[in-house]
Amino acid sequence: MLNKLLYKNQDKKQLVIAIIGAFMGITFLITSIHYLIKVNDFGKGSDILGPNTIIVQKKVTNSSSLNMTKTDFSENEIKKIKAEPFIQDVQPVISNNFDVSFETADPMVPRFRSDVFIQTVDQKFLDVKSTKWHWKEGDKFVPIIMPRDFLVMLNTFMSSSGIPQISDDLAMDIKFKFTLKGETDKEWVDARIIGFTNEVSSILVPESFMEYGNAKYTSGKEKKITQIMISGKESEFGLVEDLLKKRGLESKNAQMVVGRLKSVVGTLFLVVLGISIIAVFVSGLVLIQYMQLLMSRNAYEVRTLLRIGFFPQVVIKSFFLYFVKIFGIVSSLGLLVFFVFKYFLDTMFESGGLYIDTQISMIALISLAGTYLLFVLASYRTAKNGIFKQY
Amino acid sequence: MKIVLDHIMPVPLASIKHSSNSIWGNYIELNHGEKILLNASSGKGKSTFTLTTIGLRSDYAGTVTYNNVDVQTFKPTDWALIRQEKISVVFQDLQLFPNLTVGENLLLKNSLNPVYSVQEIRKMLERLEIEDKWEQQCSLLSMGQQQRVAIIRAMCQPFELLILDEPFSHLDEENTQRCFTMINERCTEQGAGFVLTTLGDDHKFKYDKELKL
Repeated sequence: MLNKLLYKNQDKKQLVIAIIGAFMGITFLITSIHYLIKVNDFGKGSDILGPNTIIVQKKVTNSSSLNMTKTDFSENEIKKIKAEPFIQDVQPVISNNFDVSFETADPMVPRFRSDVFIQTVDQKFLDVKSTKWHWKEGDKFVPIIMPRDFLVMLNTFMSSSGIPQISDDLAMDIKFKFTLKGETDKEWVDARIIGFTNEVSSILVPESFMEYGNAKYTSGKEKKITQIMISGKESEFGLVEDLLKKRGLESKNAQMVVGRLKSVVGTLFLVVLGISIIAVFVSGLVLIQYMQLLMSRNAYEVRTLLRIGFFPQVVIKSFFLYFVKIFGIVSSLGLLVFFVFKYFLDTMFESGGLYIDTQISMIALISLAGTYLLFVLASYRTAKNGIFKQY
Repeated sequence: MKIVLDHIMPVPLASIKHSSNSIWGNYIELNHGEKILLNASSGKGKSTFTLTTIGLRSDYAGTVTYNNVDVQTFKPTDWALIRQEKISVVFQDLQLFPNLTVGENLLLKNSLNPVYSVQEIRKMLERLEIEDKWEQQCSLLSMGQQQRVAIIRAMCQPFELLILDEPFSHLDEENTQRCFTMINERCTEQGAGFVLTTLGDDHKFKYDKELKL
């Protein structure tokens, strides 16, 4: 009866417009947040290098081959790159300044030996636990991250020798050893693979191991920084790419393609997210305004209800629940349509070769819950103020 | 329940000269179970008395107390409880819901603190000869019919005091007598009192006390 009294004779045009706006806003809000997160997460965990991270070097030209231009990075150049607003971090890639060879040291695997090139990068660029990635003198073995190409090469060798090929997991169980050589000294250090990377062409070792080798077996020549690691900010990879072009730098093409793609798609979803936030905000405001209008149109009814003995809380609850139910239905419908959108978008991404994670993003759901909670609070405050105004 | 109007002077009536026996500016007690007539001509503040006594106006000097508690200290929930259980009112402007039917108006009030069944409420309508109006929207009733609905609505709750602000102004003598008999029976049944405001006519009823404005 209270519902008939307060809501039957209302002009629902404004309410319908606000509901449509809120529905569209909610649908696009949850869709854009979900895909923004999924696109940013794309590639995470597939490589040991952190997301949005690339290794760059200067382009080798005819003049640099003739020693007319430098291919190494000065400290000043690194500082300038680091100062760019879209750059999160820049660190040099340190290489070995001593002779080192790498060989299998496992009776189960045929002997394989090669002179190698080892490098180290700051640990914050690596997606690896710090407990695994450390070395000190006297440790049983040094952890290494291997270029995947090396495993392919090893498997090719195994195959041609008539030995079964090895998987990633199996490779991590094989014992290897480094031979470090100086002018007069020589030392063997056991090594174990803890991960693989597609992005680096050399064997990665912990910084402490590189410092140890460079200090003890140095060839004496000054070591130049020829590669640096750049970590760009989310969705700003296009700017990183421009910087590389401007400074005559290059990186592995695969890294650039993924970064570019993430940046473009991420920006698109960011725009949709911005529009969705505005749509949700405006439609929420229209709904709240409609509630105020409804209360002022029902001022006589509200006042009379209070005069004949209705508790103010009962009337507040009536208005509050009416709008919270409307927004609840709108949010549920938005969520439902999001699932439909998700089905089509996931299929579309997959057919385009983009295998993004299809699990529902918790942050997207939390955002929806947060939006709903905000509306609930705003509705309650509006209902309370409106009713007590009639008291 | 004992209600005291201790030297009340409503702000809009402060500039008017009131007689020495007027309730305005004097000490007035409304005792439990008393049947009181408040007789005054237009513009003397009969409705102001009603609204001030039930806490709907606070623009006055002096103190209104219920059982020695100043009503200005009451919270909205206290007032809701008082209006549900202690004091019932027939407002001069009736305060019915025009878009609801007669039945809905009465059942809405009765739902707060149910004292009657639907059949009993219908019987009361029958007694006041408006039983055929149950399904009719209140806005379509005549003023006299609306007054009778408002009187029945005021009965649909327990009360200790019933305030009737010119409740018979649109009723003929026969209907006035019917309504008053019903009001009187209901008050006696509950041991409650009433304050009836009129424009000089005592309707030939018996009162315990008469107040002037």
